[in-house]
Amino acid sequence: NTLKPYLDCIRTTLTAALCLRNFPSQIVERHNKPEVEVRGSRELLLQPIVVSRNENERCLIEPAINSVRVSIRIKQADEIEEILTHKFSRFLMQRAEQFVILRRKPVSGYDLSFLITHKHLEDLWKHKLVDFVIQFMEDIDREINGMKISVNTRARIVAHEFMKQFA
Amino acid sequence: MSTKLADGVTCHAWSPDRKRIAVCENSERVYIYKNADKPSVTDWVKEHELVGHDLVVSAIDWSPVHNKIVTCSHDRNAFVWTFTDNEWKPSLSILRINRAALDVKWSPDGTKFAVASGAKVVPVCHYESHNDWWISKMIKKHKSTVTSVAWHPNSQLLATGSTDFRCRVFSAFIKDIDRPTNSILGDTGRFSFGDQIVDFDASNGWVEGVAWSPSGNQLAFVGHDSSISFVDFEGGSSVCKSLKSKELPNQKVMFLSDTVVVA
Repeated sequence: NTLKPYLDCIRTTLTAALCLRNFPSQIVERHNKPEVEVRGSRELLLQPIVVSRNENERCLIEPAINSVRVSIRIKQADEIEEILTHKFSRFLMQRAEQFVILRRKPVSGYDLSFLITHKHLEDLWKHKLVDFVIQFMEDIDREINGMKISVNTRARIVAHEFMKQFA
Repeated sequence: MSTKLADGVTCHAWSPDRKRIAVCENSERVYIYKNADKPSVTDWVKEHELVGHDLVVSAIDWSPVHNKIVTCSHDRNAFVWTFTDNEWKPSLSILRINRAALDVKWSPDGTKFAVASGAKVVPVCHYESHNDWWISKMIKKHKSTVTSVAWHPNSQLLATGSTDFRCRVFSAFIKDIDRPTNSILGDTGRFSFGDQIVDFDASNGWVEGVAWSPSGNQLAFVGHDSSISFVDFEGGSSVCKSLKSKELPNQKVMFLSDTVVVA
């Protein structure tokens, strides 16, 4: 089973990447921007890391001095899962304000992205934040699987009822 | 059971008699608490409020020599506060930086203070009594934001740590203020202001904190790659040794004595 080592690796990488500090912008005076989004000064960005479970499931972690971007690619084995993932992540991203750390658009090549800044770490516990991200990744997989099963069940019931008239 | 003073504390400085503490609680104001020698925070009494900055105050330093407080903030300013008539009065300091200030430290003799800034320069300010303000001279050699500064005990050498992964030692010798002395790096009168004396590339990460040992013979700096490096200046040349740890990186380092370091 590759799930536990995958999540453990992400957990340790995130704990190290989330050592953020309040860093005012070097480029614009009196501004404080997440450096991972601005990408203005190369020395303030750290090496991005990709943690892969297999070729379909990946997690990209891009750290910087005051912010971290975490992007997830969810397992999509067939077309139904692809549609479900697309709809589900779109639903979440439209409500990004409620999630506080969710990004409104995913990074290209991924399904979902988080943007965590030092301001979030001032209000939230760091270990709880990492727990949340890991839990989120587990729950999303479970949700998509559950939705797929219910779609298939509905399809079977509908087809059964439709065919009854020909019996 | 511990009680909280505030939701977040950005920086603090102890008074020379350790009975008062100046604290910035992640805002533009600095509060001075009395009775700070009591171990429980609930016994601390808010005595004064220093209002003057527009953005969050990033560092405070309280000099034991003349009881003045210097505060610096992300709004590119630094104020020197003097306690007169039972009130703390700010006095102007011309820093001439166009980005935020991240760290400030008084020199051990109290005549100058150095500010680490995001403008990639370190202004070193001294008092000009002619106009009653603090005027700055710049140390320019950095390639990126300067995160921390530390004075050598002789008040003429300054170590800086920066996000360009280096720790440097400069001469902060100002001709009219300082008298040349013999230091471990040579006669300080030899270097002019702002000359880089040595620089260390030992850290693979941003240098977050810098400190001199009380005797001035050793320098320590901590980097974001979880390393702590020690430089020994004995015998005229500098020898730098680094230790890497498996833990998360340290942000500040301090010498307790010549042989004990806390990070």
